[in-house]
Amino acid sequence: MLRDEEIRKALEKPAKYGVDLDLSRYEFGEAEEFTEIDRDVSKRGMEVGVDLDKKESLSTFLHVDYSTVYKSVQRQFKGDLELMTIDEALKKYDWVRDLFWKLRDPCEDKYTAFTALNAKGGYFMRILENRKILIPIQACFLLFTQGIIQPVHNLIIAEPGSEVHILTGCTIHPRVTRGLHLGVTEIYVRRGAKLTYTMVHRWGPEFDVRSRTGILVEDRGIFISNYVMLGELRTFQSQPSARLIGSYSRTSMNNVVYLKGNSEMDLGGEVLLEGDGSRAEIILNSVAEDDAKITTRGRILGLANDVKGHLSCRGLMLSDRAEITTIPILESKNMNSELSHEAAIGKIAEDQLNYLVARGLSRDEAESLIVRGFLDVSKMQLPKPVEEGVRRTIELALKGF
Amino acid sequence: MLRIENLHVSIDGRLVLRGVDLEIGDGETHVLFGPNGSGKTSLVMSILGYPGYRVLSGRISFDGVDITDKPMDERVRMGIGVVFQNPPKIYGIRLKDLIKIISKSKMSGAEISGLMDRLNINSSLLNRYLNVGFSGGEIKRSEIAQVLTMKPKFVILDEPDSGVDLDNLQLIGRELAENLKDRSGLIITHHGYILNYVKPVKAHVMVNGVIVCNGEPETILNRIKESGYRWCERCYEMRRSERL
Ligand SMILES: Nc1ncnc2c1ncn2[C@@H]1O[C@H](COP(=O)(O)OP(=O)(O)O)[C@@H](O)[C@H]1O
Ligand SMILES: [Mg+2]
Repeated sequence: MLRDEEIRKALEKPAKYGVDLDLSRYEFGEAEEFTEIDRDVSKRGMEVGVDLDKKESLSTFLHVDYSTVYKSVQRQFKGDLELMTIDEALKKYDWVRDLFWKLRDPCEDKYTAFTALNAKGGYFMRILENRKILIPIQACFLLFTQGIIQPVHNLIIAEPGSEVHILTGCTIHPRVTRGLHLGVTEIYVRRGAKLTYTMVHRWGPEFDVRSRTGILVEDRGIFISNYVMLGELRTFQSQPSARLIGSYSRTSMNNVVYLKGNSEMDLGGEVLLEGDGSRAEIILNSVAEDDAKITTRGRILGLANDVKGHLSCRGLMLSDRAEITTIPILESKNMNSELSHEAAIGKIAEDQLNYLVARGLSRDEAESLIVRGFLDVSKMQLPKPVEEGVRRTIELALKGF
Repeated sequence: MLRIENLHVSIDGRLVLRGVDLEIGDGETHVLFGPNGSGKTSLVMSILGYPGYRVLSGRISFDGVDITDKPMDERVRMGIGVVFQNPPKIYGIRLKDLIKIISKSKMSGAEISGLMDRLNINSSLLNRYLNVGFSGGEIKRSEIAQVLTMKPKFVILDEPDSGVDLDNLQLIGRELAENLKDRSGLIITHHGYILNYVKPVKAHVMVNGVIVCNGEPETILNRIKESGYRWCERCYEMRRSERL
């Protein structure tokens, strides 16, 4: 097939942003046998917001290395939600093919190309028309075998009028140090649907991650994405891109990153306001410690009437050796669009510290409160148990795991 | 409670207090007047021990202890609470988070909600980031709520009535009057509106980094209202020539 050849060519193509990786440095093909969800795995699950011990009582999807280990839909939501592997979905519905690789291009770079040619699994979630699922659906991707590439491709469809919260935790087994996670996710938010997509990541100091997320939002649809990354990794790059084609559609992308060690992260968010009256808010909050390097890129394009977009990039430097770069871009192609951004990078502000000390906090308490403020997740409107889980993980990360 | 003797303070190499004397007895509330830039806020910051305010000479004692060289956190622990004129914005920290931390072991939940109700601080204000987008009245109410939650022995209020509308003024005034009954305090006011609610026992006027006169609050406020601070400036000249 001509297309395959074109994709194969793209295997050599570096990504637009981020450190270029040599894919031949990783293993691909064989995985060790994964036998059970032991204490280590369930602890890691908890750290990324997924409760694998209670998987029977929740809607859960667990993918380890190359295969799906577990999937189930809570009884009360059967008939509201379809949850299967992407391969099952491609077999079951002809139309799935029409939604596949439509929101990201397989030839975009070597990572999409590799995933297009080699993806092993991923989830398919479809929330049926007008159904509202009140308890988050949990998905967990775990890398168990040392040194491998894990390419997955997920597809989410929130049918018209539906409402759901999907929580995806991605992590590695504590014994794993090296490896590469490639995640392609395509998300369709149909007319009047509301999808909250929360992702919590926890990796290791030698681990690499490239995710490619594409989102399409129709009339009055709402897409909320929350991203939390804590701790260390080797390199990371991702720039989720949302097209708000529907009129009065909305999106809000909240990112909270706390990076330590020698980690290098390039995290972005892009929204195309194509529908009249559509709205976007992108928040990129980052804290850099040790030698961590963080680049945050926000981009909002106003292409229709009466659209509004706001971009906020805030960076907190906790070390002299850390680096934070922030690149906000606003582009307007319509007179009636209103776009704004705010950006600030710096160390902990003395006047804020002194203010808190004047209220009776110790300097250490004041510092830690300000850092936690940068990592505030309460804007994400997470369900209580999820928010508490994420807060616990933040506490752990700040104490050095 | 508080005794300040011949205090000279500089900030960023600039002399802002040039020999301040002030004494406030236990349980007393005093009021401090003075034109813009005369050094009132600098005095507050110096009493609190705020970093950057350098004491060149003179001394401050609080509760019988010389605190001139003590760091701010220690003075706060000793019971000094300040309502700031211009508090900073802090993204990520909600008013309720800070109130909760301050109240630790000092106030019960019921006591806190009572205080918040009286100061008309609802859950929407409590859920906002500190001072981010707060109106003038909201800043003052939040400041006063925080400081009263600290239960300080000595409350300093740096212009609690500036930029506040009448409804807010009444709310604040009543709460302060109630709370100053059993503590000591120093209130800085520009226009004196707050004195409709709080009745200090003594007034002081600061001009150019020194306290130029002391007296009965009503009398002094009326004189300032009639002829502005020109009258005080004459006192300043007089004092200066006396000293020379
Ligand atoms: N950080 C600073 N650096 C230098 N000068 C300052 C600083 N803060 C205040 N000042 C100066 O000190 C003087 C007294 O200011 P302030 O104490 O704020 O007066 P007030 O509160 O009476 O209006 C003013 O002349 C002001 O410009
Ligand atoms: Mg002042």
